Amino acid sequence: MVQFALLDWIWMILFLLLMIGCGALFYRLGKRSESDFFLAGRGLPWWLPASSVYATHTATDTPMWVTGVIYKHGLAGIWYSFFSAWCAVSAFVSTRIFRRSLAYSQAEWQTLRFSGLGAELLRGWVAGWQIFMNMFILGWVGIAMGKVCHYAFGWPNWIGLIVFSSICAFYVTTAGYWGVVMADFQQGVIAFSAILIASIWGIIYAGGPSGIVAKLSELGQSWRLNPFHFTDEFTPAWLITMFIVAIIGGVGMGTSIDWYTEAQRIQSAKTVRDASYSIWSGTALVLMRNAIWAVAILGFFVLYPNIIETKDYELGWFQLSFEALPAGMIGFFFAAILAIHISTISTQLNLGAMYFTRDLYHHYINPKASKEKLIRVGRISTILLLLGSFVYGLMMEDITSWLIFALWIMTAGIWLPNILQVVWWRFNSWGYLAAWIANLSISWLIVWILPELGVIRQLKDFEQFWLLVAIMALIYIPVTYLTPPENMDKLVRYYVMSKPLGWWGPVRKEAEKRGLLQSK
Amino acid sequence: MSLIKRNWTAREADEWGKEDLIACVFSVLAYILLTIGVALSLLLFPIGFIILAAGIIATIVMFWVINPKLKVLSADYEKKQKDYLVELEKIVEWEED
Repeated sequence: MVQFALLDWIWMILFLLLMIGCGALFYRLGKRSESDFFLAGRGLPWWLPASSVYATHTATDTPMWVTGVIYKHGLAGIWYSFFSAWCAVSAFVSTRIFRRSLAYSQAEWQTLRFSGLGAELLRGWVAGWQIFMNMFILGWVGIAMGKVCHYAFGWPNWIGLIVFSSICAFYVTTAGYWGVVMADFQQGVIAFSAILIASIWGIIYAGGPSGIVAKLSELGQSWRLNPFHFTDEFTPAWLITMFIVAIIGGVGMGTSIDWYTEAQRIQSAKTVRDASYSIWSGTALVLMRNAIWAVAILGFFVLYPNIIETKDYELGWFQLSFEALPAGMIGFFFAAILAIHISTISTQLNLGAMYFTRDLYHHYINPKASKEKLIRVGRISTILLLLGSFVYGLMMEDITSWLIFALWIMTAGIWLPNILQVVWWRFNSWGYLAAWIANLSISWLIVWILPELGVIRQLKDFEQFWLLVAIMALIYIPVTYLTPPENMDKLVRYYVMSKPLGWWGPVRKEAEKRGLLQSK
Repeated sequence: MSLIKRNWTAREADEWGKEDLIACVFSVLAYILLTIGVALSLLLFPIGFIILAAGIIATIVMFWVINPKLKVLSADYEKKQKDYLVELEKIVEWEED
């Protein structure tokens, strides 16, 4: 149990007041329009969405996950967190294309890129799926906070889940995305400083850099210092697959679960250039933060080298920091944990509310809604998402494996279609829908049912990935060619506005014929 | 003609070209080098500082290559954005085709 001194309580209360202040301070800006409530009026300089990218992707469960892979694989575990490198390419490709489309959300983009009933079905599906995912992530991150509070103070898990998410919901409900992004800036600065301070303190506590290296050598564990130490689980084939998934995936939209939060930050940037730099630099910070954590966790390993169970070592970074930091700094550290937690919760609340308000309510239920009504719906949906996340969070222990599977199917079978929808003019909404539907059914077969029945062996995850990519192509490519191409007027309008790269020859030619573009 | 184009017209910047590809390559390199460089530098390995410096250089090259193009492209697009935004609501309406 962690003991708080008076200074620790002061740090924590000051931080919470600062966050609540954001709601009051930006209340007027948030209620100006739908665009203000969900995109901060599309006018942010690059460093604000960048800090939001960093803060959002620093959640309470992130150090637990990074601890898990580093404790198990040593420095090579850092590649498990390298999937976020999709932003390296996205920053200069899909970010530019998406920013130019001006779509509020990825669901709305479907109706800009595709046409007719297929586009509408896709918009509804993507919006519904995203609301489900936002609620899931809220529950997942919320219960991680519950576990940290249980470890630190002995509170039951539900207290950490409910109390801090509810405080966060206050400023998200009142100020919308303005509140989210302004609070994210403060939270990003606090979280990065605290991660740096706590990790360096932890490294020194574990014997300093040379002490850690020496102890690893004594333990016969020097291989942990090699970022390319391969094992039966961490193989070159896995690493190559990861690089392909991340790097080529940056050309597409939706190839990573993080795309949907990034998409909101991309549209909130004031120019295409701001959008590109915000995504690039926010992710660069995420990757460097993972590297800092990795070394601190090596420090934790040399202090506690014989832990077998994941659940026993996944809180390692928190444990090291609580042990190493002096009285008075613990409160600052806990305020940083709150910053880490709240920044992710606020983003997911506002993002889910945007999908509900913009893509479901405004588009399908009440297209003539006034801006006041839309903001009211945005606020109500924020509260409903919060309540839903409590239910998810409390039952999370039982459904984790199912939900990890849900995350998996989101990336494997539709990875290539997510790229094709950006780069290939002939790929249509029916092909993309077919990929989604087939993926939902076939991934069950490949991952669970066929290995269980003994029809195929249990495949490694990278083998599952490539098999799903191949099988899905056998479905959506014939479907695409058997159904008509998208409406040419719509394609030309989308092309002129977004200027996608890839195979767009016939659309480009048509745009030139209509005098909308000059020939190259 | 220089290898890397530094002066762009709006029309030229609007097209995809080798500068975009070069920026992407250096961007990926920068991420890899910065990640490993930070970790190994914190462990005070000399190779870590070299890798970190290489990561910073890769970042600067990336910025140097892409920034002039992004600047022109952005400025040109912002002029059209107002009209596009007005049209956006119309384009995304439910279609009856």
